[in-house]
Amino acid sequence: MSRLTLMARTRLAVSALSTLLWIGLGATLDGVAQQVEERFPGVSLGLSYETRALPTLAIQPFTSGFGDPSQATQVENIVARDLRYSDRFQVMDALPAALVREEVDYALWDQIGATWLVTGRVDGAGAAAVLVLELHDVVYREVASRGRFSLAEPGSPDFRMAAHVVSDSIVQWVFDEPGIAATRIVFSRRMEDGSQDLWVIDSDGENLRRLTSHRGGEFGVPISMTPKWSPDGTRVAYTSYKDEGMPRIYELNLATGQEKAVPTPRSGDYISPSYHPDGRFVYFAVNSGNSSGIYRYNIVDGCCFGSVTESRSEDISPSFAPDGQTLAFNSNRLGVGAPQIYIMSADGPGRPELVSPYVYSTPGYYTSPDWSPVGNRIAYHGRVQRRGAHQILVAELDGRNRVRQTSQITFAGVNEDPSWAPDGRHLVHVGVRDYGHGLFVTDLLTGNTRTLVSGIRPNPPAWSPPLSPSIR
Amino acid sequence: MMYRRLLIVSVVLGGLALAACGSEPPPEPPAPEPMATGPDMDSLRAYEDSVRRAQEEAARLAAERERAIADARAILEQRVHFDYDQSAIRSDAESVLRQKLAILRSSPQVRIRMEGHADERGSVEYNQALGNRRAQSVLDFFTQQGLTAGAFQTTSFGEERPLSTASNETAWAQNRRVEFVITSGGGSINPAQ
Repeated sequence: MSRLTLMARTRLAVSALSTLLWIGLGATLDGVAQQVEERFPGVSLGLSYETRALPTLAIQPFTSGFGDPSQATQVENIVARDLRYSDRFQVMDALPAALVREEVDYALWDQIGATWLVTGRVDGAGAAAVLVLELHDVVYREVASRGRFSLAEPGSPDFRMAAHVVSDSIVQWVFDEPGIAATRIVFSRRMEDGSQDLWVIDSDGENLRRLTSHRGGEFGVPISMTPKWSPDGTRVAYTSYKDEGMPRIYELNLATGQEKAVPTPRSGDYISPSYHPDGRFVYFAVNSGNSSGIYRYNIVDGCCFGSVTESRSEDISPSFAPDGQTLAFNSNRLGVGAPQIYIMSADGPGRPELVSPYVYSTPGYYTSPDWSPVGNRIAYHGRVQRRGAHQILVAELDGRNRVRQTSQITFAGVNEDPSWAPDGRHLVHVGVRDYGHGLFVTDLLTGNTRTLVSGIRPNPPAWSPPLSPSIR
Repeated sequence: MMYRRLLIVSVVLGGLALAACGSEPPPEPPAPEPMATGPDMDSLRAYEDSVRRAQEEAARLAAERERAIADARAILEQRVHFDYDQSAIRSDAESVLRQKLAILRSSPQVRIRMEGHADERGSVEYNQALGNRRAQSVLDFFTQQGLTAGAFQTTSFGEERPLSTASNETAWAQNRRVEFVITSGGGSINPAQ
């Protein structure tokens, strides 16, 4: 695809998304409003629930002409669930094999109610397996897109990821927007003994596994937390107490297992790392009483430690806009008990602009900003009342980064620490329900929430960029 | 021979008492009596009594001093607690800090790391900042009272090391705290006078 086409397509995708958002803006959801006892000041309920019905996508049972015949069914099942989790389709799958024809019978699929049809066949390509995939437009009775996808050995670490790449291609073909299947979520997990290591899980809730195994020492059980992905998904920056008993910033290279540490020329707690979109600079907070602030360090070249904000209060949790020009952060400059979300120019100077809905007499409590990779939205969480539950909010920004609207998007239980998926519509967040703690995924456009993993104590998650199958 | 032994014992005992308590004068050694010819059982007994008394006194003083040091250490390590979302020093915390202040003034070699903690409510990263701010409030109190900042280190564990893992007001109140860890000079604690 040429650069120009890519840009045009991206713009189209973004504008399509914002059109959808506009449809939902200002809509009063009376049913939802009644469930909420206390409201955030100036915050509307729900973001942008899609009013249209989702298109129906049918999956004709995948067939096999190579290797283990169950491989085709395994891929089909992974793809079907991914497409459900995309919240973009009504998915019809696990259909009878009798529906498989030599030629696609469009009239039949139309009768069944499908708008889109996916057909797939596993073939050999030398020693390896490939999936030959076709997306059919049942209404226009034609093949809309087709592709060949390399499959990995069933049971190998790449197998599921290769199937997720297939799912994301289908989303891309139909909507011209990125999917979220070939992604992972990294987070820290609190264990019974109080230790925390980094863990990672696939976007569909499979493949939960440990990334770090730090050992305790003179500073007690090891605590590593608040991981963030590098923009290319190959590295993870995080905070850990493991070496000094004080929080320090590290970077783990996922391919090599090598670790780097951010130097500490200033004394203080080093917390809340996050990457600049250039992938070279890590931004983080150094808390040291009267000289706290956000700092940055070029972790790729190992240089250029520098100050971004300086403050007597705590400026923490930086999160960059995708263009790298502006960052959101959290600060208690209006009061220790009243942290707020701000945005500022990455190069400074200039006064940071308030994003969260501050009201003088009831300033509220707003933390953990995450800027959407698609552009004009910042997710964060806030406390509904002084001792109330925490819920997730999304601020919509206009072209000049001013807040156009802020909406509450979670209502059940307690929800904190949101992180955007690459599609800019799904958020992963920590949730507490009456049955326990877990990670949940909420879709802004449908309002759907699903459990990613429960029965564990997760700390703030970060959603990866799209990953290629070679990244484990 | 006997004189010499007596002299050595009293010097040793005196030295012990001196070491145990720097400011108090050592107990007077019992005045040696002139020896008559042959063993004088009375003076021997008197001598042995005086040795025992001196030993007992030295042990008592040493124990007292140990107790005072242990008490001082306990005061130095005593936690202070904070209100919800706040880093201001409460009045109950201030009286604890004032007791610490007196000990710290007479123990200049002691180094302390103040570790701030928060309850589980609120965000993980903001609670790291809040814990640090609480430790800073304590440091500010000490420096305003004339102690040097160099004797202290501050850090925060946020909500990650709760004393109680329950989710109720009692547990939260317990968890909002600053802990005091003696990192060096623990052998040079001088109880306040």
